[in-house]
Amino acid sequence: MKKVLVLLLLVIFGVYLADVMFSLEFGRQVFTDGVRDFYLEKSPLDLKVSNTITAIVVNFRGFDTLGEVTVLFLATTAMGGILYKKRHAAGTRSVLFSSSKIVMAGSKILFPAIILLGVYVFIHGHLSPGGGFQGGTIIATGFLLMLMAYYDYSVNHNVLTIIESLAGITFAGIGLMGLVKGGSFLENTMPVGVMNNLFSGGLIPLIYIAVGFKVGAELTGLIYTALHEKD
Amino acid sequence: MVGSPVLFVAIPLLTAFLIPLFAYIWKELVRIIPGIVILYLLVLSVSLYGQVLREGTIVEQIAGWAPPWGINLVFSPFTGLLSTLMLFMAFIIWMYSYRFKNIDFEPSKKYFILLLMLVTGSIGIVLTGDIFNQFVFIEIMSISGYGLTAFYVGRDSAEASFKYLIMGSISSMFLLLAIILIYSQLGTLNMADIASKAHLMKPEFKILALIFFILGLGIEAEIFPLNGWAPDVYSQAPGPIGAAFSGIVVKAGIYALIRVIYTLFDVEGSLQFLVIIGMITLIIAEMAAIRQDKIKRMLAYSSIGQMGLVLVAFGIGTHEGVFAALFLMVSHALIKPLLFLSGSYLVFNSTEKSIKELNGLGKFMPLTSFLFALGAIAIVGLPPLSGFWAKWSVLTAAANSGMLLVIGLVLAISIVEIVYYFRVVNRIYFFKKEESVVPKIPTINAKFAMVILAVIIVAIGFYPDLITSYLHEASETLLDKGNYIQNILSVAQQVTQ
Repeated sequence: MKKVLVLLLLVIFGVYLADVMFSLEFGRQVFTDGVRDFYLEKSPLDLKVSNTITAIVVNFRGFDTLGEVTVLFLATTAMGGILYKKRHAAGTRSVLFSSSKIVMAGSKILFPAIILLGVYVFIHGHLSPGGGFQGGTIIATGFLLMLMAYYDYSVNHNVLTIIESLAGITFAGIGLMGLVKGGSFLENTMPVGVMNNLFSGGLIPLIYIAVGFKVGAELTGLIYTALHEKD
Repeated sequence: MVGSPVLFVAIPLLTAFLIPLFAYIWKELVRIIPGIVILYLLVLSVSLYGQVLREGTIVEQIAGWAPPWGINLVFSPFTGLLSTLMLFMAFIIWMYSYRFKNIDFEPSKKYFILLLMLVTGSIGIVLTGDIFNQFVFIEIMSISGYGLTAFYVGRDSAEASFKYLIMGSISSMFLLLAIILIYSQLGTLNMADIASKAHLMKPEFKILALIFFILGLGIEAEIFPLNGWAPDVYSQAPGPIGAAFSGIVVKAGIYALIRVIYTLFDVEGSLQFLVIIGMITLIIAEMAAIRQDKIKRMLAYSSIGQMGLVLVAFGIGTHEGVFAALFLMVSHALIKPLLFLSGSYLVFNSTEKSIKELNGLGKFMPLTSFLFALGAIAIVGLPPLSGFWAKWSVLTAAANSGMLLVIGLVLAISIVEIVYYFRVVNRIYFFKKEESVVPKIPTINAKFAMVILAVIIVAIGFYPDLITSYLHEASETLLDKGNYIQNILSVAQQVTQ
């Protein structure tokens, strides 16, 4: 009886929600004086960035991105803290055997290509689709592939920690630099250059490179912690 | 200018990234640095607060873009008061847990990073003037919360953390839906901009967005049907984290809820809703508290009940009501951590952590027991302490608005509180000690932290005027919505002209 009642309530709520959400008219122009036009106009003109989304994520709302990077950092930190005791008590790895020869040989060829693609994606974040988060994730998938193919493949945890910290410090430091130069936090203090050049967009590529390193190191560390119960 | 509000977020983030590197230099730095950072921010917050009271609200824009387009931080008499309070509590909790996890180095490093981020997230929620940015800070706060809850590696704490994780994820989903609804209708994420355009939204969207906000933030603010996670988290998390939750995190949740209801939307009846939901939360939580036999669960339910009372006071809606609510928040933020900190030393060596094991500890742990008793007297609202003035101001506010039901309820609930708090105090002082329980003497820094809190509670009790003028200023700021909008959007006009 109780379950039926709950189900009924959920259905009523769901129908109401669906009704409102369908009447939202996503994609249609409902507001006239929002922030959208400002972003579309300013990112090519003032920032010389052709990827507007990157301009929004890294410059206009860069503070949010700094927060999101911190969320990831906290997730890895918390996971390391929780799994600490288990890791030291058990001391074995959950995957105990290597993959087949074909997978091992294939992943050795693919690994550099994946890393290169990841680096490309985060370096060109201000020119083409993608950016630091995407590039970092691609890099981490490369390490995931290696960890799955070779059972004795290992990553140096100290190096990961240092990369992670340095990248985070770079991001926060770039932000504080704007404050030191008399502007505001995360303000663009570098020349923006010519649009569509690799070296353009002021601080945007620098921040995205830091984000790329950070996300790559963090996700790799996360996979490694979960896979290796021994340090 | 002494500093800028953005430092409250930037410096802790920088420190959190630096801590793993400091660990390579000297391990003790991992413990010392967070304290120095929190102390510096506390000093900064106090000096900025003084400046704000003299010269008016500071609006800090980030990345050089004016408010509706960029993100802004608002340091007003209201938000400044809360951030100062949170930083002070953070400093006390850092001092208390300085020696925490002394045996293992690795967890203690992570503990201090997470603690610092828990505080930063809460301060970010209070200072930001942008709803999506607030969402990001809620994420930072709750993820550190999940990690810290599961810190005593054990089955129960993992369960509590998992429960909180599920509730927290649902909460952020609802918040995101609310933000999507607002953005799709108004095309802006800035709180002041939303507040000035809220009348343009269709009523059905506005109501739905408000419902989503209440569902999402209600989980963080521990209002009645959404607070199932709280007692587990409070009782399973390490003692100082319970204190941090009751002194810092809940306050941030309440702030976010109040900001939405008071500033963002002007929906008819939302204040009455606050009163009703607050009263239900208060009754249910206090009834549950009286039935608990574990000390930390009892404190957790009592904390939820007090938050219900804060919502009731906010729901009164007058200047006096807001003043009372803020007084209650400040006083609760001082007293409840004292109870958690002393209480967790009282049950330090017991296995069950139950109230029965406190029997007769008064003789063996005189200072801790005395501080616990002082906290208990303060929180039920007996005269010479700060809790009395907080409850008194709620009663006067309710009386002046003719809410007789609230007055009756507050008085009745106070009796319930006396029953369950004094039951514990009675056991501590007048029962015979059980053989199996070994008393634990607090470390010197923990003693120092608890005594500072106790001294402040007594000081506010004797001289409530110490803080009332600040609280009046803060409640003035919260109620003056037009001024808030104008303060922020005037920056934008200067830019476009």
